[in-house]
Amino acid sequence: MRGQRILGLAYLAPYIVGLVVFTAMPFLTSLYLSFTSYDLMSSPKWSGLANYERLFTRDRTFLKSLNVTLLYVFITVPLKLAFALFIAAILNYKLKFINFFRTAFYVPSILGGSIAIAVLWRYIFASEGLANMALGTVGLAPVDWFGDPTNALFTITLLRCWQFGSAMVIFLAALQSIDKSLYEAAAIDGAGKVRTFIFITLPLLTPVIFFNLIMQMVQAFQEFNGPYIITQGGPLKSTYLLPLYIYDEAFKKFNMGYASAIAWVLFVIIMGLTLVAFWSSKKWVYYAGDKRS
Amino acid sequence: MKTRYMLAALASAAVTTLALSTAVQAAELRMAWWGGESRHVATQKAAEACGVKHGHTVKGEFTGFDGYLEKLTTQMAGMTEADIMQVNWPWLPLFSKNGNGFADLRTLKGLDLANWTDADLAAGSMNGVLQGLPVSTTGRVFFFNKTTFDKAGVAIPTNWDEFFTATKAIKEKLGSDHYTFNAVKETAHLVTILAVTQATGKDMVDPATNRVAWTPEELAQGINFLGKLVESGAIRSQKEEAADGNVNLFEKPAWAEGRIAGSYEWDSTYSKYADPLKEGQVLEPVPMLKLAGAVTDGVYRKPSMVFSISKHSKDPEAAAEILNCLLNEPEGIDALGTSRGIPTSKAALERLGDSDKPEVRANKIVMASSGPVVSPFNEHPEIRGAFIDTLEEYAYGQIDADGAAEQIIDTVNDVLAKFD
Repeated sequence: MRGQRILGLAYLAPYIVGLVVFTAMPFLTSLYLSFTSYDLMSSPKWSGLANYERLFTRDRTFLKSLNVTLLYVFITVPLKLAFALFIAAILNYKLKFINFFRTAFYVPSILGGSIAIAVLWRYIFASEGLANMALGTVGLAPVDWFGDPTNALFTITLLRCWQFGSAMVIFLAALQSIDKSLYEAAAIDGAGKVRTFIFITLPLLTPVIFFNLIMQMVQAFQEFNGPYIITQGGPLKSTYLLPLYIYDEAFKKFNMGYASAIAWVLFVIIMGLTLVAFWSSKKWVYYAGDKRS
Repeated sequence: MKTRYMLAALASAAVTTLALSTAVQAAELRMAWWGGESRHVATQKAAEACGVKHGHTVKGEFTGFDGYLEKLTTQMAGMTEADIMQVNWPWLPLFSKNGNGFADLRTLKGLDLANWTDADLAAGSMNGVLQGLPVSTTGRVFFFNKTTFDKAGVAIPTNWDEFFTATKAIKEKLGSDHYTFNAVKETAHLVTILAVTQATGKDMVDPATNRVAWTPEELAQGINFLGKLVESGAIRSQKEEAADGNVNLFEKPAWAEGRIAGSYEWDSTYSKYADPLKEGQVLEPVPMLKLAGAVTDGVYRKPSMVFSISKHSKDPEAAAEILNCLLNEPEGIDALGTSRGIPTSKAALERLGDSDKPEVRANKIVMASSGPVVSPFNEHPEIRGAFIDTLEEYAYGQIDADGAAEQIIDTVNDVLAKFD
């Protein structure tokens, strides 16, 4: 019995070591560093709450970046989920070449996080890019996608929404697992497609919507590649998401302690919103067989 | 007979031991640098040639300029930096404020320091410790697309007044989508510095007080000059530039086609800007354009970069041999050529001789122009960030020139105060 226990621990050891060394230790170290002044080249110096005090009272860039980040998340996540569900619902029909379409719609999410796609996005929406050329062919005026601070964030948002594949696949799997007899019963009762979707499909999808909501929200808060490659946070910091600010403070300005403090504020925000989502889920997420429902 | 063999064996063993104790063992070294394609090719060839000569293996780790500082910072903090590193001169205070960030190059036997002047070595020293060997002296210089100017029938300007007249002519003859100049982000920052330095004769930082030497009024004039470049149609506005996303000038079709016909760049980057031009177009390095009443050319001249050796290197002597070969020995000099500008090393300069290459002409302009001694703080990341962010606010009409000048001076003084 003891031998088996040791063997089990031995099997687990690589994971535990990885978790401790590459996740837990950096996590706790960054918490410590957030209370220090640390320039990477010399030892950290304890500074108490100075970093947090500066963040909330004197740092206009942080407040701007926080606003931009929250706006980005609140636009991107619902848009992306709605789009993923819409496409999944279409791909749930038995169409010709359905497997090809499913693959084609999933591909962007495989490529999506890559630098190459961000570069491609930059060329598509540049002033003389494909998007404006397309507008020109139908007689519309070109749009200043990146130069106008109002449009720039929206253009970055589109990139994230375009990467809807992973959420779509999960929705598709959930749609296919819904009991067909429920639809048959609804049809017999005279329910149309829209009513069936609203009163049968959606409630049964709520656990998956909830899962996707949490995952997409966490990912959106960590967005980096798109704005870094396409706009570098500009113009006028209109796409300067918090991860870019953390990166600049840590690796361009050597303020590792301050960057850690921003990272912890971001962590608290993500954690807070996740807890709110879990708390609210009791009111809107339906689990089949759950006696509370 | 046996005794003779024994003595011979002992003698040869002693000689071998002595040789091993004095010669540097074959080592496997890492070398890191940033640059463009031509520099990458030249450096790989030079490293290989020097490796063969000295019996070491040199593995190159190279990238573009963007992201190099971040990579180097991470490696320095983790003590995993390459044995030989190309370090931007303004970064020396960041990595080696007290002169202990890199190996002390004076302690390494393989380097022939007689090839540098005392002033050169002082520029590579921090706190009196030699931390990096200057590779070349560089400066910002004007490049103009001669073909575009010829097409419009105007001469390449020799001062700012001629420049604005030429801009008008080019707009009229070639179209409003033609621009005579470019000034975005870092270049906008340095054009502003140029305008203020020409008018005042002062560098941004006063070495006596370690604070900004310019008054808000002087800096505001420099910012207004940037505004005049936009208003006259010489450069595209920041908004128009931002509309292309984050793209380098030399990657832009407008540059390749000659629709943007000039810029203010490092002399050593001539090839980077000349190579992408469409066939038949000629890029000319041009002497410093001066404002009316300028007290100096305002040249922004500095050691371009240094080569440093890691203080954590397992084979610092081997690294010194390779570094010496790259900068002072024929194998390295011939392969590197002018890929990092005109070399500072006397041996390299002598071997490469005089030439009429555009890079050489550009460097001669830099060396012949007048200007105050430039502080490395001009390129401190926070100071550069303050300039770029504020100039962007000015370009978007969120702040006027006077407000921008005061905002920049306050921020720069805050950063400088950290180094008191």
